[in-house]
Amino acid sequence: MPRCWLKEFMKSTWFEVARPQKIDLNDWSQHFRLVRDEQIKEFNYYHNPEWGIYLSPPATFMVYGARELKRLKFDNSLASLRMWGFVFNESERLFRAKQMGKRVIATMGDLGTVPVIIMAFPNCIPFYPECIWWTPFFKESTVLLDTATELGIPEAACFSKATLAAFHKKAYFPKPDLIFASTGASCDDYSCIMQLVNDLGYEMLWLEIPFRRHNDEQYPDRFEEYLISEYERVWNKMVELTVINDKTGLIPSIKKANRLRSLAERIKQLTYEAPITPLPALELMTIEFGNLYGYADLDEWLDIVEMINETVAKRVEKGIGVLKQNAIPIAWITPSADPLLLNLVEDCGLRIVGTEYVINQALVPIEENVEPFRALARSFMKASLIGSTQERIKRIIEGVKNERIKGVLVTNMLGCSHCAMETRLIEKMLSKVPVLSIDVPVPFGITEQLRTRIAAFAETLR
Amino acid sequence: MTEILNPRERFGLLVIDEKPDRCNIIPLITSHAATVAGIKLKEYYTDGEAMAKAQITAIEEYEHDAISIFSEVGIIAEAMGSEFNYPDDDLPVLRIPALTKFDIDKLKIPDPNKDSRLPVYLEAIEYAYSAVGDKIPILAYVPAPFTTGMMLSDPNQFLLDTIRNPEQIKKIIEISLEAAIEFSYEIINAGGLPILVDPLASGSVISPKAYQEFALPGEQGLIKFLHRYDFDVILHICGDTTPILDLLLLTGADLISLDKVELNLAIERLAPKMRIIGNFNTTKLGFGSPDGIASQVREMVKHGIKAEKGYIASTGCEVPIRAPTGNVKVFISAAKEAGWFLD
Amino acid sequence: MELIGYTCSYTPVELLAATGFKPYRLLHGNVGFITLGEKSVRVDACPLVKSNLGYIMANQKKFAAVVGSTGCDMARRMFDVLKELTNIPVYLFNNPRTDKPTIFYDEIDWLAGELECLSNKKINSEILGTEIDRWENARNRYRRLDQKRASNPSLISTADFHRAVMNYHKGEIGSAININENQSDKPRIYLLGSSIPYEANQILELLELDLAIVGDFNCGISRFLNINIKEKSLNGIKVAYYNQPPCIFKRPNQPFYEFIGTQIKELECKGIIAWTLDYCDSYEFELKRIGRIFELPVLRIRSDLSFQNLSQLKTRIGAFAEMLA
Repeated sequence: MPRCWLKEFMKSTWFEVARPQKIDLNDWSQHFRLVRDEQIKEFNYYHNPEWGIYLSPPATFMVYGARELKRLKFDNSLASLRMWGFVFNESERLFRAKQMGKRVIATMGDLGTVPVIIMAFPNCIPFYPECIWWTPFFKESTVLLDTATELGIPEAACFSKATLAAFHKKAYFPKPDLIFASTGASCDDYSCIMQLVNDLGYEMLWLEIPFRRHNDEQYPDRFEEYLISEYERVWNKMVELTVINDKTGLIPSIKKANRLRSLAERIKQLTYEAPITPLPALELMTIEFGNLYGYADLDEWLDIVEMINETVAKRVEKGIGVLKQNAIPIAWITPSADPLLLNLVEDCGLRIVGTEYVINQALVPIEENVEPFRALARSFMKASLIGSTQERIKRIIEGVKNERIKGVLVTNMLGCSHCAMETRLIEKMLSKVPVLSIDVPVPFGITEQLRTRIAAFAETLR
Repeated sequence: MTEILNPRERFGLLVIDEKPDRCNIIPLITSHAATVAGIKLKEYYTDGEAMAKAQITAIEEYEHDAISIFSEVGIIAEAMGSEFNYPDDDLPVLRIPALTKFDIDKLKIPDPNKDSRLPVYLEAIEYAYSAVGDKIPILAYVPAPFTTGMMLSDPNQFLLDTIRNPEQIKKIIEISLEAAIEFSYEIINAGGLPILVDPLASGSVISPKAYQEFALPGEQGLIKFLHRYDFDVILHICGDTTPILDLLLLTGADLISLDKVELNLAIERLAPKMRIIGNFNTTKLGFGSPDGIASQVREMVKHGIKAEKGYIASTGCEVPIRAPTGNVKVFISAAKEAGWFLD
Repeated sequence: MELIGYTCSYTPVELLAATGFKPYRLLHGNVGFITLGEKSVRVDACPLVKSNLGYIMANQKKFAAVVGSTGCDMARRMFDVLKELTNIPVYLFNNPRTDKPTIFYDEIDWLAGELECLSNKKINSEILGTEIDRWENARNRYRRLDQKRASNPSLISTADFHRAVMNYHKGEIGSAININENQSDKPRIYLLGSSIPYEANQILELLELDLAIVGDFNCGISRFLNINIKEKSLNGIKVAYYNQPPCIFKRPNQPFYEFIGTQIKELECKGIIAWTLDYCDSYEFELKRIGRIFELPVLRIRSDLSFQNLSQLKTRIGAFAEMLA
């Protein structure tokens, strides 16, 4: 067999035949040599093959400063490679969006459904500025956190303070054309940060989030009316910006959001229920967060998630996966700011079969047979943060009751107001299973002691 | 003016066509770092940790915008069999080219993790990346295939063979390209951004025709490899590249580092497609007066920042090993003064 | 008489009192209660919330109900904890965060309905009218005192004033108010920040050894004096409570700064004391801004309510006073 033909053959089939596993950066660099040039050109964002390519190995982003990628492990599928390249490329994508004449709209993550409204307008890209809280961990750097401290945020404050630094530096995303921020039953840390961003000179529209006193099925109609009136304000602001006023755009936007939500949900269910975990927790968490706004190119993100869905389905069909069959199922409450923790937990023989990442508002389906704003309001009323702690973790409690979940891990951030109050309560409510509560350390701060605690927790469950 | 960005952030904005707070300032501080750190050159180019520490010392001293891991252009050739002398206080000197010892068929692609001084580079990159890589880009200079090819051969014979035996030269360049790719691959995994240096391809050494036939394909091959990683690739050719300016556009390089070229001419011909780097006369840096340096740098940067796709204030070639540190400081402070982008 | 505990300045005390229960502002800052509260929440929770939680846990039988608001995350979550650990009925309403009164007005209607169910009593306009009179009269008495505090030179210390207003906050509005007048020529300063618990009176005394606190915007001292009910009805209550000067967590919070700025100017203050409790995001995030906007020297006092660093604090206060003099 001629050597070049063999090489091409390997390039085309390697991803199909490779055994699923978690691999590190060096492994990915090796495998990336098998990716064809055509495949690299095939995947691009904003339909721009000139500068929109994003299929790069983790090494690319590592060279550009994402130091933790040297230590992280990733799923070895082409779909995951595509996902990571796309996600890490987001900052560049936002700048390119603005260069292309698109409007870039910052929407706080708490708002959940506001991006769906933004995406009803052509050429408008919503993004979630608080996403920047991952950056200090991926970079193993306190640059953004230190800058936030210089700007006045106390040291003992949630890592989302990196957002203020990012707005100050203007190097992580372009100046948004509009900013929608939230207050009320959302997150004080986010709200306080955005007030300081306001003080930097950024104009924003504040939306008030009502506290959902009741469960997410039985609340007074007026809460929906409040939200609808807030969404009208968002709409009017967008009309002012774009000079377009066509509410029919909401229908395809909601359909797309639902398509994404249902795909993400399917992937989660396949992963949770398969005897052997087909997709690692880190990739799964990234997919969940993608529901918020599609990482600044929803169409491309949808395509990626479809590809991941196919990969996961195939693995489940074949009965293969990335972890051992005897991995112990646990639930994870509150997202880990440090992605390495997700790797660590799996290395200790655990698998994640349930999550509460404080973004339920972006996971639940949006009704399509109801007036759009009402549908959005109803889906938002299922948000994690706007109700009680008891409501927030009810799915986890259910999973514990039916013995699907053997243990629970709760991550806390020092200075996070919700964590400070909820964690002990959660431990009490989940008293039937072992609960491990860990404080996420600063970037590059995971110690042997923490590793030992997680390992000991896994032993307890065993 | 107060700087709010660190070099990493500043470089990141440049390569996505955004204006940072001020232009990046990256004089080619390579072996000069040994002088700044007060270590012997031999220690610098044989000990990776020493190289990295010297670079970090230089960054702390000068506050410029990148670390440059480099000593001399023979590093790949040496790993492929060429022999060099190691003076204590000077850079390695070619003693016996590999192809004067054995045939081209005996040339092997070196293993960057084991062979010769390639591991020194990698160690330097890893050290620097670990120490400051979150804030400062780590640039690792990779000799381009043509330059390596010349270092594998008797230089005169090599140049003669570009006319008498072009196929032999192309074979040498092909294998040098493979070696450069493998080296770049490991540099990337260590955390460095490979930048190509091809000084022996300059107009001061070869004709534009020879450049197009031999040097250009080697550069293109390496740049194509690096583009698979979506890197923005820097190509540095010192000397007079005026005769090959239009050919530089064909390399695929995203940033072009120039030496003896009229800056305005380079901006006119290249700036619509490539970011310009350069190009202060290093002799002046070595021997000029601080005041003279300051005014010339300011003038240079004033023009440079008009480059359409972006500009990095730099020296035309490596900062002389024993350049007065005061002169280098003046270069950087003058560049900072003139390089602000005002909204 | 049983108590209705409440945590927020937006809580209409008149409505609570109309139930027949005594409104009791939860403003405890006591190490013992904090320790008790820490059994249910993490150490990095607000000390006031921990202390209030501990107080309620230790005195469950006294409370007919506890009313709170979405004032801050921790205050809100305290109610999740109470629901889980006690049988005390809890009511949490949305307090106003932006310039939209609708939510707040509806919430007061809702609260009124809930309190009627709790007390088994129809809260009609007559009952409301009576309570509005009682509480408005009480506030007028304290306003007169406050004017003496604010006068130049100041005639009443804030420490004394704080002791007096504790009765208001504890629902004892019929109690006699006895304060000795004492002229102070010390540097005039403004106090703002996190709530001042009952037990923090010692801090006020310490401050006033060298300074004269002539005005404040702290829950626990004189904030309640900004409530001015003109119409004797539930609507009057809604309007008055909604229109009080806004909290720092109002978004955007420029109106807060405008109000404080006016106060500082009118009271001819030379400096500011910024009092923050540990983990109080609402104020701690704004400290730098406070210094910049008001262009006055600011003394920052951060407290975990253990009051352990008093001698160190005394030195700092002395130095601050010298700087102002």
